[in-house]
Amino acid sequence: MAVPVIPRPPVPAGEVAMFFKHICPPTFGGGPVDPQPATVELARNLLVGEKFRIPDGRDIDIWIIEDPDDNVGGRVFPSKAIRVNQGDTVRVRVGSQGDTHTIHWHGIEPSPVNDGVGKHSFEVSGNFVYQFTPRQAGTYFYHCHKNTTLHVEMGLYGLLIVDPPGSHPNFLPRQSFTGGPFYHVEAFWVSDEFDTRWHTLGHDAFMQDCVPDDPVGPQTFSRDGFLNQFKPDVFLITGVARTSDATPIADPRVAVSARVGQTILIRTLNAGYTVQQYTIYGLPATVIAADGRPLGATPETRYSAPFVIPAGRPFRLTSGRRFDLILKPTRPGVYPATVEYFDWITGRRYAVARTTITVNR
Amino acid sequence: MNRRSFLRKSLVGLAAATLESAGVPGMLAPPAAEGAPAPIALTMAPALVEMIDGTQVFMWTFTDASGPHFPGPVITVRSGQRVQIALTNALDELHAFTVPGVVSSGPILPGRTRLVTFTAPAGGTYLYFDPLNAPVNRVLGLHGAMVVLPAAGNTPYTRPTPAVQQLFDDLGVAPQFPGDAWLAPPANRSRLWLFSQTDPRFNAQAQAGQTINAAKFVAGFVPDYFTINGLSGAFASHDPAIFPSGNIGEPHLIRILNAGVATHSPHQHANHIYILSVTGVVQGNVLFIDTFTVRPLDRVDWLLPFVRPPDIAGDPRTPLRDLLPQELALVLGNVPQSPLSWPMHCHMEQSQTALGGNYPQGLVAHMEIVGDVDKVPFPNQPPPP
Repeated sequence: MAVPVIPRPPVPAGEVAMFFKHICPPTFGGGPVDPQPATVELARNLLVGEKFRIPDGRDIDIWIIEDPDDNVGGRVFPSKAIRVNQGDTVRVRVGSQGDTHTIHWHGIEPSPVNDGVGKHSFEVSGNFVYQFTPRQAGTYFYHCHKNTTLHVEMGLYGLLIVDPPGSHPNFLPRQSFTGGPFYHVEAFWVSDEFDTRWHTLGHDAFMQDCVPDDPVGPQTFSRDGFLNQFKPDVFLITGVARTSDATPIADPRVAVSARVGQTILIRTLNAGYTVQQYTIYGLPATVIAADGRPLGATPETRYSAPFVIPAGRPFRLTSGRRFDLILKPTRPGVYPATVEYFDWITGRRYAVARTTITVNR
Repeated sequence: MNRRSFLRKSLVGLAAATLESAGVPGMLAPPAAEGAPAPIALTMAPALVEMIDGTQVFMWTFTDASGPHFPGPVITVRSGQRVQIALTNALDELHAFTVPGVVSSGPILPGRTRLVTFTAPAGGTYLYFDPLNAPVNRVLGLHGAMVVLPAAGNTPYTRPTPAVQQLFDDLGVAPQFPGDAWLAPPANRSRLWLFSQTDPRFNAQAQAGQTINAAKFVAGFVPDYFTINGLSGAFASHDPAIFPSGNIGEPHLIRILNAGVATHSPHQHANHIYILSVTGVVQGNVLFIDTFTVRPLDRVDWLLPFVRPPDIAGDPRTPLRDLLPQELALVLGNVPQSPLSWPMHCHMEQSQTALGGNYPQGLVAHMEIVGDVDKVPFPNQPPPP
């Protein structure tokens, strides 16, 4: 008896152009579209190639989004953080060098031409000025959204921090969000991984052919890619690679230092492709915000409340998720913290990155 | 039979007349109040399922009178209803049927039929699947969704928490939710997204009649395809049964299930979303997030509020049709920018591939806003097909 076939659906009549755009977005430049008076103007360029020294001594290729207006700190990994206030109308002039790219502002919710997803708008040719007004203080991030699987893994991402209205980045203690706790010490734990096999690929690796009148024809598909296989061999927190499962990261970009009586804010982000598990030992942490939304603090979030993660209790984040944690240490000490990286299918633990929260009198 | 209509044609469990009135993709019509429907007849049988790139992959599927389905047909019932399912094993090895915590058929020999009877549990979203040789049989195609509507109330749940009840009560009433109050159940305001992954090398082993070792399956699983309701990439993203579409102020309920072996991290652009229920636990603390975790066998219900995307620059009181005239007039790549659309996709970006590349032909959907809260459509939309 013949086995019945469930065929692939036909491309609906009149939607060929949309199917083509899904794969091969148009390009566009200029902007901002429907301009509004701006209060902050920034610039970013991508794709910028850099070398990154990994613990075994090799230099691997990474890609970053540079701030061309900052000659001192504009070319860093992760890409330089953007920091603005709630209510700012932000313009970012994005230069796309060598080929087309986009920037998506993850968790920021503007109109589609400002959202940075090519298949729903366009890819940037030359320059484009994105425009958005963040309305909720919190932790967000930005990243390229072209051939995203490869581009984000190669490093094309950075933090986007929105502070409450009236905040100044140099002034502490700072408030986390309107009505929220003030903090004296701020840490960014951006956990990520590299699969160094991916770091020899070109920016358009394994992309589908562009055939406008037959966009999803079987012959258009690339068949020799391996971006479905992510087997990381380098493990990082905020751009610092851990050297072994045993050695805590002491780099001040990661390790936290505070005094008894101070309030610490730790902004966590899973910027990688594994299931990441965080554990803070000896100190309880209160989750005050998730994905940039403060728990229980606004009409939109009244259905939630901050919750406590007891000392030593692990919590897991998958890619793109953020938790903002408040810690208020009452006793001096060196408190360990770990990030463990688990495979998304097998659950195998690849590695553990360690660091410390040092509390002085 | 094709997958695009699996929701329209496969709402089994309810009276036929009610199914006809349901009509619209993804809709959950109120089932007939009286009498249990006739037993649902499902046969476990082979099929060849054509993937996004045209490759035909062997699957074990749940088949009914209208043919094979990948994934299995959506079973929609009312909580407390007596449900009977007649299961026939038309495959060559032992298979079974379970909804964890609700019903379990036990192993069914090839060629045999077994009738299972159960009482539909509390309102919510459930996964049915073949639990034998876990996770192999389920991942090779033997899975589907069961939606249980509550007997009463205006939420999807029999026992909503105070936070969930307050959220549904606030829709269309509280100032943060201008627009429509939630009707129970709403017309065309629900979607079901059943995630899975396929490594065709294992499907070929099943086709050849080989026994598959479950541990080796998980250890060696390299997914070439990532699907929502059996579809990938542009096919999933542009399927009206998958993507929600509406005016500002028309919230949508999305029921997400993961029948595969990979952990997904679905991320919604344009709106944050309320997490209502996670794998049978209605949430007392309803997180409002843009990205969430859906592990194998998880069922996550979220509410997409369809609010005005908050970070659009300009006066929030100005209707978008007046605030975004240039954008709504743009045509880029022969595709109008009106109505406004944004993606939903998994952020474990390996899942955005097909055959290890071909971004973004993996696990994607989108959402579409067609008009303002006053229900005046945005200008410059293409004519309906």
